[in-house]
Amino acid sequence: MTKMSADVVIVGGGIIGCATAYYLAKQGVTDVVVVERDFLASGSTGRCGAGVRQQWGLKMNILLAKESIKAFETLNEELDTGLDIEFKQQGYLMLAYTEKMVEQYKKNVALQQSLDVPARLISPAEAREIVPYLNTDGLLAATFCPTDGHINPFTTTNSYAIAARRLGVRIMTGTEVTGIEVKDGRVVAVETSAGKIHTNAVLNASGGYSREVAAMAGVDLPTYPERHQILVTEPVAPIQGPMVISLHHGFYCQQTPHGSFIMGFGDPNELKEHVVSSTWHFMEEMAAKVLPVLPPLAQLRVVRQWAGLYNMSPDAQPILGEAPACRGFYNAVGFSGHGFMLGPVTGMLMAELISGKEPHIDISPLSLERFEKGELLREPSVV
Amino acid sequence: MVKTQLLVVGGGPAGLAAADTAASLGIQVLLVDEGRSLGGQLVKQTHKFFGSGEHHAGVRGIDIPQLLLKEGQDKITFKLNTTVIGCYQDRVLTALTGEDEYFKISPQAAIFATGASEKFLAFPGNDLPGVYGAGAVQTLMNQYGVLPGNRVLMVGAGNIGIIVSYQLLQAGVQVAAVVEAAPQIGGYLVHASKLARAGVPILTRHTILAARGKEAVESAVIARLDDNWQVVPGSQQELEVDVVCLAVGLSPVVDLLRQAGCRTRYVPELGGDVPVRDSLLRTSQEWIYVAGDVAGVEEASAAMVEGRLAGAAAAKQLGADVAAADEIIARSQASLKALRGGPVGEKIRSGIAKLEGGIANA
Ligand SMILES: Cc1cc2nc3c(=O)[nH]c(=O)nc-3n(C[C@H](O)[C@H](O)[C@H](O)COP(=O)(O)OP(=O)(O)OC[C@H]3O[C@@H](n4cnc5c(N)ncnc54)[C@H](O)[C@@H]3O)c2cc1C
Ligand SMILES: Cc1cc2nc3c(=O)[nH]c(=O)nc-3n(C[C@H](O)[C@H](O)[C@H](O)COP(=O)(O)OP(=O)(O)OC[C@H]3O[C@@H](n4cnc5c(N)ncnc54)[C@H](O)[C@@H]3O)c2cc1C
Repeated sequence: MTKMSADVVIVGGGIIGCATAYYLAKQGVTDVVVVERDFLASGSTGRCGAGVRQQWGLKMNILLAKESIKAFETLNEELDTGLDIEFKQQGYLMLAYTEKMVEQYKKNVALQQSLDVPARLISPAEAREIVPYLNTDGLLAATFCPTDGHINPFTTTNSYAIAARRLGVRIMTGTEVTGIEVKDGRVVAVETSAGKIHTNAVLNASGGYSREVAAMAGVDLPTYPERHQILVTEPVAPIQGPMVISLHHGFYCQQTPHGSFIMGFGDPNELKEHVVSSTWHFMEEMAAKVLPVLPPLAQLRVVRQWAGLYNMSPDAQPILGEAPACRGFYNAVGFSGHGFMLGPVTGMLMAELISGKEPHIDISPLSLERFEKGELLREPSVV
Repeated sequence: MVKTQLLVVGGGPAGLAAADTAASLGIQVLLVDEGRSLGGQLVKQTHKFFGSGEHHAGVRGIDIPQLLLKEGQDKITFKLNTTVIGCYQDRVLTALTGEDEYFKISPQAAIFATGASEKFLAFPGNDLPGVYGAGAVQTLMNQYGVLPGNRVLMVGAGNIGIIVSYQLLQAGVQVAAVVEAAPQIGGYLVHASKLARAGVPILTRHTILAARGKEAVESAVIARLDDNWQVVPGSQQELEVDVVCLAVGLSPVVDLLRQAGCRTRYVPELGGDVPVRDSLLRTSQEWIYVAGDVAGVEEASAAMVEGRLAGAAAAKQLGADVAAADEIIARSQASLKALRGGPVGEKIRSGIAKLEGGIANA
């Protein structure tokens, strides 16, 4: 086997790995290898809802999402691959069913507006103007941000990959990272099923397997996988603009540009293992949750259900940065169910960090050290 | 939740034989099929079957279901017009009768006899109304008495292409030509000569390039292929037809098995992705067996024998009389060996060999 080397090796060909590869190459670091065990977007990225929203309760999340959405808006032109990321930018409608939630949403909206995000608190009647068949029984209020939306995760990941390749990045699919060699506290090589790659910088972008990959470098991550299920219906004529999300019921529901509905919900009892099989309970509970709120969907046939992994961190926020215990080992993991929307901005920030620049947004609060120091972040608005 | 000892999914020759065998060994069976009548592919077969007398050769396919259900009928519950839509790893299956009646089934064991689905070809115009699979044409004509059109281009000269062409002629539909990409006809010669006698050209080394038409198929472009399967320039010709019928092979319907976690492997000799199983037709999920075309595209006779084998093996697992089950297992295995003997069975034998011991090392 020929001797391989690279300036940067990225473990994982999901949105995070491919976006970072592209932004590294764009900055001139083109000697980059992406190693993906299966095929591009075969992990959480290709299984996700790909909703993108700025309606968060934590300043850091709002800033990161806002920057990502700005990038998504012009990504087709920037990457120029002929693929369409299918950004349906018709908003997120977030439903509030309790007084406590209304109070929280008021605070969130104030914070969002202070950061120039055009979100607003609306009445149930206004919500019905946006989604006419919304059943507003029990609904107290909602928030709406018209610049949120949802995207096609496959074409997005592939666009990043194609653009990165064009700039010289090598992408090895069907190749597994099996070990990481560390000498004197520094990464020196990555072992793969296709041979060893000498390198001084490794990015862990392995999604649901972040803990296992970090352990190869002797880095202990507090992350774990959690299964989340999702389904898609037959396509019908366009009737729903925004992503509808109810944190009270724990579900989200969108209509893709080609007409299918995609929906899922968060189940606290889900398996916290590397399992991506589906259950019939999910089908039944999904229907029970979504139909009272969006009744006409009862007429749709489900064509497929599947599952993917959230990579959870203790405070449900990502872990970004170089691991203190191992120089040259970078993590972009623990996205806890909202990593697709953070793809572009994470790619830019990690590229800056790995190439030795000052990140243009201060991401030190997202460092791995926060768990030891007890400086956990608390995002009030997660599914 | 409907409880049953054994669930059989699919009421074609394999499923019927499986249900009948398990029931005759004293097992309670629920058989579901999405069709409105039993028989699977058989109900479309108006021709007399080839094969041996033991496996009902000489009988019209349409008449075989009655013959298959002889012994255990009263231990079998039939649920027709019912599609199994999910198969989960906790051994629960979801099903839909018609469009509205949704229910769950919890069996102790299941036999999948879901058959095969038709392969399709990629060419411009393949989504025009008038482009059919051969199975669909058969269903329309032989089950519902509806003609697909007036003049047909048949693509594929295997058994199905040839037989369906002949049935079209019998129904008064013109067959403009049968095109076949391979250098020779794949189907049995008896049937092919009937077509030739009726004046239908069978063009080997020919393929379809496009279907044309405004609202529906009005013509089809065909062309000759060279030794490297490339179009011979200038050999294009346009045939005036209103139906293009594709008979280009079948692939096993393994979706539900995949969902249930059964391992599959790509074996072209058997039609594509097939479930890995042992010599008793048990898959990598110990409660699931397979039989018939879903286990590898073959013929009705083999499907029936596989049904008996899987039915007996599942019954044995569920506590039926061991000696009686073993006797059927041994007889069926010998019978399959005989059916697959000789040069005709070579392809199937080599395909199955790829799966043997597969459970252990897949
Ligand atoms: C059902 C569901 C719905 C979701 N909805 C949303 C949403 O609406 N919005 C949103 O922003 N996010 C959503 N998410 C979360 C989002 O999918 C993830 O946060 C995001 O895709 C993470 O991207 P990634 O590139 O880090 O991980 P992944 O896409 O999982 O990529 C990691 C890759 O690493 C590979 N890999 C792992 N180990 C190795 C190894 N040893 N060697 C080589 N390769 C390896 C894997 O094969 C995988 O392809 C959802 C997730 C799920 C499961
Ligand atoms: C034109 C033609 C001519 C043929 N001629 C001969 C011949 O002369 N001799 C011969 O031996 N063989 C012949 N065959 C082949 C023979 O018909 C098949 O090999 C045989 O029918 C396979 O039996 P099976 O039970 O495995 O599948 P099938 O007969 O295909 O039965 C499968 C059944 O499963 C049901 N099903 C599938 N999925 C589901 C689900 N999810 N839920 C509920 N039900 C489901 C289907 O509705 C179907 O009834 C011919 C085939 C064709 C198409």
